[in-house]
Amino acid sequence: MNEDLPGTQGGVVFKEVTKTYPDGTNAVDRLDLEIRSGGLVSLIGPSGCGKTTTLKMINRLEEPTSGTITVEGEDILRCDPVELRRRIGYVVQEISLFPHLTVAENISVVPSLLGWSAKKTRARVDELLSMAGLPPEKYRFRLPDQLSGGQKQRIGVLRALASDPKVILMDEPFGALDPISREVLQNELVSLQKNLKKTIVFVTHDMGEAIRISDRIVILRKGRVEQEGTAEDIRNSPKNDFVRSFIGEDRLSRMSPDDPAESIVEEPWGMSAPWESAADVLERMEENDREFIQVVDPKSGQWLGMALLGRVRRAASAGETVMKGIYRERKLYAGDATLRDAAEMLADRDISIPVVGEDERFLGVITSAALARLAVERLRSGREEGKQS
Amino acid sequence: MIEQRPLWDLFITYVGRNYMRILNLTGEHIMISLIAVGITVMVCVPLGIFLTRNEKAAPYIIGLANVFQTIPSLALLGFLIFVFGIGNDNAICALFLYAMLPVIQNTYTGIRSVPKSYVQAARGMGMTDFQILVKVQLPLARPVLVAGIRVAMVWTIGTATLASAIGGGGLGRLIFSGLSSIRNEIILAGAIPATLLALFADWILKRAQDYFNPSARAVRLAARHGAADGTD
Repeated sequence: MNEDLPGTQGGVVFKEVTKTYPDGTNAVDRLDLEIRSGGLVSLIGPSGCGKTTTLKMINRLEEPTSGTITVEGEDILRCDPVELRRRIGYVVQEISLFPHLTVAENISVVPSLLGWSAKKTRARVDELLSMAGLPPEKYRFRLPDQLSGGQKQRIGVLRALASDPKVILMDEPFGALDPISREVLQNELVSLQKNLKKTIVFVTHDMGEAIRISDRIVILRKGRVEQEGTAEDIRNSPKNDFVRSFIGEDRLSRMSPDDPAESIVEEPWGMSAPWESAADVLERMEENDREFIQVVDPKSGQWLGMALLGRVRRAASAGETVMKGIYRERKLYAGDATLRDAAEMLADRDISIPVVGEDERFLGVITSAALARLAVERLRSGREEGKQS
Repeated sequence: MIEQRPLWDLFITYVGRNYMRILNLTGEHIMISLIAVGITVMVCVPLGIFLTRNEKAAPYIIGLANVFQTIPSLALLGFLIFVFGIGNDNAICALFLYAMLPVIQNTYTGIRSVPKSYVQAARGMGMTDFQILVKVQLPLARPVLVAGIRVAMVWTIGTATLASAIGGGGLGRLIFSGLSSIRNEIILAGAIPATLLALFADWILKRAQDYFNPSARAVRLAARHGAADGTD
């Protein structure tokens, strides 16, 4: 396969792809994108930019509303989705190894769906484990609970590689890891990619990660490609202010406390609609062990408030909707809030801060974890600069 | 004056003379309970699964099962005489209605409590809905599901003693005839095996639960390793 010519049959190609949700919002808007085979491409952008939706359309976990997507030259809308998914590796956001299956069984999920013989599957599992530096005789029969976070995610990657697919999709796979394991896994992924020449589509919200691992970076915003190219291209000639604000290996480390707080906004763990009953919301919060949830009007995207556990509990016992439990005082406006403001608010009370734009549109939250990551990045780059001088 | 013999002595004599009858009734008791629990599991596990896919129906069906649960067991047996007449059919049907709730409820909540991320991962790897159910949702719901069956089993064995009140068989016969003839040894001859049966059934299901526990299973797989194949 000729990897240098654009328009070759391999890889993943989006043509005029639009995904409209039933409420009328366009998650992806007339997207044209070509991911060449054998490349590691990062899709990156702020929350709500459509990066995860774009990824999930490749294995039809989301169906495009219009447009065509081809994988390895084949129009995926003509494929059986189940068959298609078995041919595409998939690594998910949360560490979703099946807890009731051993490491070996987790890795062999797709081979067993494809009907491989036990012998072939076993050889493949051992091969993959050895490749990842996990001695098979030691790890084969471990359960996911007996592994560290880094090992789990390594197994998650092996699971996607098991049937030797040409295309692998990764949805923020290292998001839940501590910075050190994350860096180790990023390096492993890069060397793996060099050896195996898979087409990897990698979704992330961390520009540092995108730069470290990918050949090409696609910056998305509101469901459209804002800029696409190598890290170098984008850094040397950012197309506009939005891209400029998003890039630079040292984007994080160069940040000053007076930079806009918007730059570290993340998607919240969950949202609630205003008409939901407090009891339902309470159950969800307790299940996920959360102290608060953002209440957002799903139609207009307007932020209505943040429901706090104690208040929701009271509202639930009174049989009210979640709106009885909200708190509206804590928020930052995207336009004028700085990182310093966010840090002060978090230091005051360690609860995520909702960030709203014009007309109270909900943009996401700032968590203390995001701020901590920023601090770590700064410290690390400071140390590296110290070493060089 | 007739000498008053101690209860244990009377009991041993009664059991010694009637052990065949006790064994037969125990067998019958086991049959009635197993059939009732078998029907319950065969109907209510699929029903619980159905409810996870039709959330709107769930409150109604679970509410209905709850109603049966609330009717006093003897009253329920009485009502069912109008439908089934007298005998074991009536008893089995009543026991089924009685045991429905824990099985439906636990199947439903067990499957619903499986985190969505596992289902999503399974779908993304190319499992069909049925494979997701069998390979992911049911195994992960198993502890809750089996707990429901355990409750149903113990209730059923206990309540099955009432079957003889409407002409059915089982150890209840001994208890009721002991009650009517005021002979405590006969009551005991029925009550003790019934209690042991319930405890035994509970223990068996607990053992099964432990046996299928993922970590026990992983240890077995590892132990078998060498001759066995680690990938199932």
